[in-house]
Amino acid sequence: MERHYSSIARTPTNSLVVKRRTKSKSYRLSYQSCFGAGSRLGLTPALTARRLNTSRRAPKSHNITDKVNAEQLALLVKTEWQLSYVTPLYQFRHTQLKNYSRQLSAFIAAEKQQGLAVEVEGPQGGIRVSFSVVQGMVEAADDAETVLIQIHSKPLFARPDEPQKSVWSGWLTCINGNPDYLHSLPEDFVCLPLFCSSGPENLTTVVKSWFQQNFDCCFGPLDISHTSLQWLVALWTNCHAESSIQHLKMIWTLPVAPPLQITYTVNPQDAWELWSSVRKDPQEENKAGKDVEEDSIDIEEVISFIQALKSHFYRHFRLDLSAGSLNQVSTALGSAKYSGRIKISNSKYMITTLTLLTECALLKMPI
Amino acid sequence: MAAQQNLAGPSDSDTSSVSDQSVSSRSVNRSLRVAEKERRKNKASDPYVVALKYFSDVEAGTPVYGNDEVENNMVLVEKVAYSKGLSPEAISVMLEFGMSLRMGTSLCARVLKCLIPASVVPQEAVVRAVVWLGVGKLPISTQVLFIKWVLTIFDLIDAKDQLRAIYGFIFSFVTDENLCPFICHLLYLLTRKESVRVFRVRKLLELQSKLGRQPFLLHLLSLYKVFCPELVTLSIPSRMKSGFRNHNSTWKSALTGVQKRNGSQVALSNNPAFTIKDKTNSRKRKHYHLELPALSSVVNKEAQTEPSSSRKLLPLVQLHSFAQLLENMHRIELPAQMGSLLGSSLPLQYLDFVQDESALLRLNFWLGYALHEEFLFCGDGGALQTSEEALQFLNKLLSTQHFLQEGFSSSEAFLYKFLAVWDGSLLRPQILGLLSNVPVVPSSQIGRLLFEPLMQLFFTSSMFFKCGLMECLNNMLLKWLTWHSVYALEDDLDISLNSHTSINMTLSGFKDSVMELVDFAGRLSSVGLQLEGCHSLFLSFVLDFYETVCDMFLKYGLPLVVMPPPGVFYPAMCATDPVSVDRLAYIMYRYKVNLTSAKSQEKLTEQAFHISRETFREFNQYLVVMVNCLWNSKMFQPGMGVQLEEELLLKSNVPQYWTSFDLIHHPAFMSYAVDFHQKCWPGTKDMDLNSIKNSKPWSWYLEYLFTQGYDGLKQFVQSNINWQLTAGDKRGDSRSTQQT
Repeated sequence: MERHYSSIARTPTNSLVVKRRTKSKSYRLSYQSCFGAGSRLGLTPALTARRLNTSRRAPKSHNITDKVNAEQLALLVKTEWQLSYVTPLYQFRHTQLKNYSRQLSAFIAAEKQQGLAVEVEGPQGGIRVSFSVVQGMVEAADDAETVLIQIHSKPLFARPDEPQKSVWSGWLTCINGNPDYLHSLPEDFVCLPLFCSSGPENLTTVVKSWFQQNFDCCFGPLDISHTSLQWLVALWTNCHAESSIQHLKMIWTLPVAPPLQITYTVNPQDAWELWSSVRKDPQEENKAGKDVEEDSIDIEEVISFIQALKSHFYRHFRLDLSAGSLNQVSTALGSAKYSGRIKISNSKYMITTLTLLTECALLKMPI
Repeated sequence: MAAQQNLAGPSDSDTSSVSDQSVSSRSVNRSLRVAEKERRKNKASDPYVVALKYFSDVEAGTPVYGNDEVENNMVLVEKVAYSKGLSPEAISVMLEFGMSLRMGTSLCARVLKCLIPASVVPQEAVVRAVVWLGVGKLPISTQVLFIKWVLTIFDLIDAKDQLRAIYGFIFSFVTDENLCPFICHLLYLLTRKESVRVFRVRKLLELQSKLGRQPFLLHLLSLYKVFCPELVTLSIPSRMKSGFRNHNSTWKSALTGVQKRNGSQVALSNNPAFTIKDKTNSRKRKHYHLELPALSSVVNKEAQTEPSSSRKLLPLVQLHSFAQLLENMHRIELPAQMGSLLGSSLPLQYLDFVQDESALLRLNFWLGYALHEEFLFCGDGGALQTSEEALQFLNKLLSTQHFLQEGFSSSEAFLYKFLAVWDGSLLRPQILGLLSNVPVVPSSQIGRLLFEPLMQLFFTSSMFFKCGLMECLNNMLLKWLTWHSVYALEDDLDISLNSHTSINMTLSGFKDSVMELVDFAGRLSSVGLQLEGCHSLFLSFVLDFYETVCDMFLKYGLPLVVMPPPGVFYPAMCATDPVSVDRLAYIMYRYKVNLTSAKSQEKLTEQAFHISRETFREFNQYLVVMVNCLWNSKMFQPGMGVQLEEELLLKSNVPQYWTSFDLIHHPAFMSYAVDFHQKCWPGTKDMDLNSIKNSKPWSWYLEYLFTQGYDGLKQFVQSNINWQLTAGDKRGDSRSTQQT
């Protein structure tokens, strides 16, 4: 009785090959398209609401400095980045970066000239773009290599001998991306869901539109949600024993009129002690049958840590922070804002932070 | 102080003009003045006036953070600015406050952004502000913002003489790398013959040698050349067609809004000769993610095409006819951005044909992104306003889906999320249209994804929503059934494909889903009919749905028969309009045809499906009730679906209550009976409707009803009631075919 509706064989990745198909097959695809695309993408996002992981590895100090070029790393660490999410890039090749550099600089030059009266002399108008791979900035085997884009330009009033300086930079990355999702994409897509940019807005716009036109992808703003910020509070505090966080500063906003902003700074040692007190005993977890091969942090611990911080605040000021939302977190390891700006100050723990952000970006994917 | 003046300003002039006009009517004049005084008193306590006073008096160095007063006042001023615009005096106060950086830089930009003049801008204020520019404490971005503001409101400045007087001062900013383009534009607007000097020309040429032939410099120089050709020897290219960019994007919409409201005649400085199509402007629009990308071919070809495929490819852009598409089917190149295909039929035809997974995925990524950003992620409540663009976008999407006869998976995924936050009224026709395109949902998920959110919306929305939803569910069911019918047929032909099944939809799975959908619609209809007092419009949509349901087996080959719940059957049978009863009769007739043929087929092929006895029992019961009710005048008899206590029925004082729903006394048909009676026995004074029940008049009456277009009733009667015209005095009896 069970008649199976068969699936379509995967189309060859080369989109240019046209194969004759019977009408039935087209219907076949239609029929399954509700789950077709979804199930091919592994996650069936609509059907199983994707959520943030409820448990993640405790940040271990990575010796990322050994793996990644120091110069590139310094660049990633020093800047405050504005975050965006990007849908998978179609036909993006890591081998073509040189070409891309050339094309993008030509594109920027063309954009700049639009609406201008005369051509700017010089083929690139003093703009130089470089694409480069950040070697070593990967964690899992499925992660695509991080790509760094820099735009150099001569300042408008520079002397001829003055060197070009970097006016804009940005990078696309994927750290510990959900393997199911990554696997479900056809081969001609490269998934680098997290885009960090820093520099003038108009250049960001131009770069984004170049990517959109060339790799048929879409960019959307990525904010760091309340929950993600709470995760960062815990993850960063957890590092204190190895590397001092100096201070734990949180900015909360309470929805009263006019909005009330509260800056809540905690002494690092106090924060660490409080954190240690809410951490579950690993022994207990072992007993519970879980094989804890690595130190992991659970969302419950994060929640109780934040709750403890809130009740401490309440004891002193009679203000319940639960009514408001966490807007900004900063420690010596980095700072993060709800608006989607992040600064990673210590490269040792950046992988953990980026893992969290990659997860947030993947959550924003439309399918 | 200034604030006080400003508000008094217009009214002062009012009074004076009044006094000018009517010297004679002093009393009027006096009373006006008294009223004016009164108004001024009131205005002193107007929070807006207080706010302006605060900004004119606030001391330098007052902290901003945690200062509620400044926040409140700022909000007040902004509110007025965006609704009515600021008076000249208010502009002076605010501009002075902002540019002096009395409360730091962060407020300055905010102030600049809300400086929307209601009428004109006093020149003095602008000059003072330019002076603040010279103090050099302003951050660069704010400086630029200020100059942009001046450029935007340039035509609204009441006089330009003082500005021209400080031409040299303004010119000195030209050496500032960031300000240069904007300063050039401002200078361009201010330049007179006497401002053109040798040293200025020299400075500009020097800048040009450094910066290259920048258009803003060239424009200014060309103007200089117009005034003093002897000073500028430079050759200006003749190709200079476009002018300076517009920088009014920050204020444009607010300004035009205010001007429209105030009926102002002063136009913005949109001199057509000096505007260019500002692309950045459209990019900044809130809904730009709804814009379809342009249909363009792939740019970096070297990265894409493998060396082996040296065929010459034809980009879709170059296709203009279907014949051309057919000819070039083998060498068509998909566009760089798949989103551009939405809405153009030729490429869609191609896409539908090739079923390229990557291409579909690209289209879905783009579509999903646009829908999510527009309706789900919009932080500023963008979705709350029905924008024209959103409407057009959805209409385009709908027509595309209609064209392809299927929904996109990304719009499906979006809908499941959107239903949870939808208010049921935003873009209702479009959203319901998209929803009806949703492909088959597995029965395990259907409740959570569709039914729960829809149920909430259904019970809390108006009747029109309820009707819309029933229509949507009907369309959804129709599409599912159509897919099934095409699919099932093909499947029989092509058995080999069955060997590598990986897809999750089996026939029984499909049946379960349809079952769930029909049950859900049944539940909604039952409760909806109660809630809306069996409204005939809603009932009509419900019956539409059951017209689809009753024919699932014969029309679509789905071995499934589901009966309507009593909550639908009885309201339809007792409906006050004859059309509903007629349609119910038709539905019952189709059920019978379907069940009969299912039964015969079951006998024929042993392995066929099995329709449960329960379904037959339900059908028979309904049939008996209907025949008893309409035909045999045996309403409320024991054993029927509707039972009332004898006592209660007697209490109602309805004579012969058991006849009250037969074809003569049924509220839907009573008027026909009366009409018939009058035609049959014209001139009879006392009307006895029961006389129709006699054999002959009864058959005439039926004929009469059938000629009124009640075909459903006709089919029902003919198929279910064993009744001959010549059958003597006893009318036919009920006969149900599928006795279990």
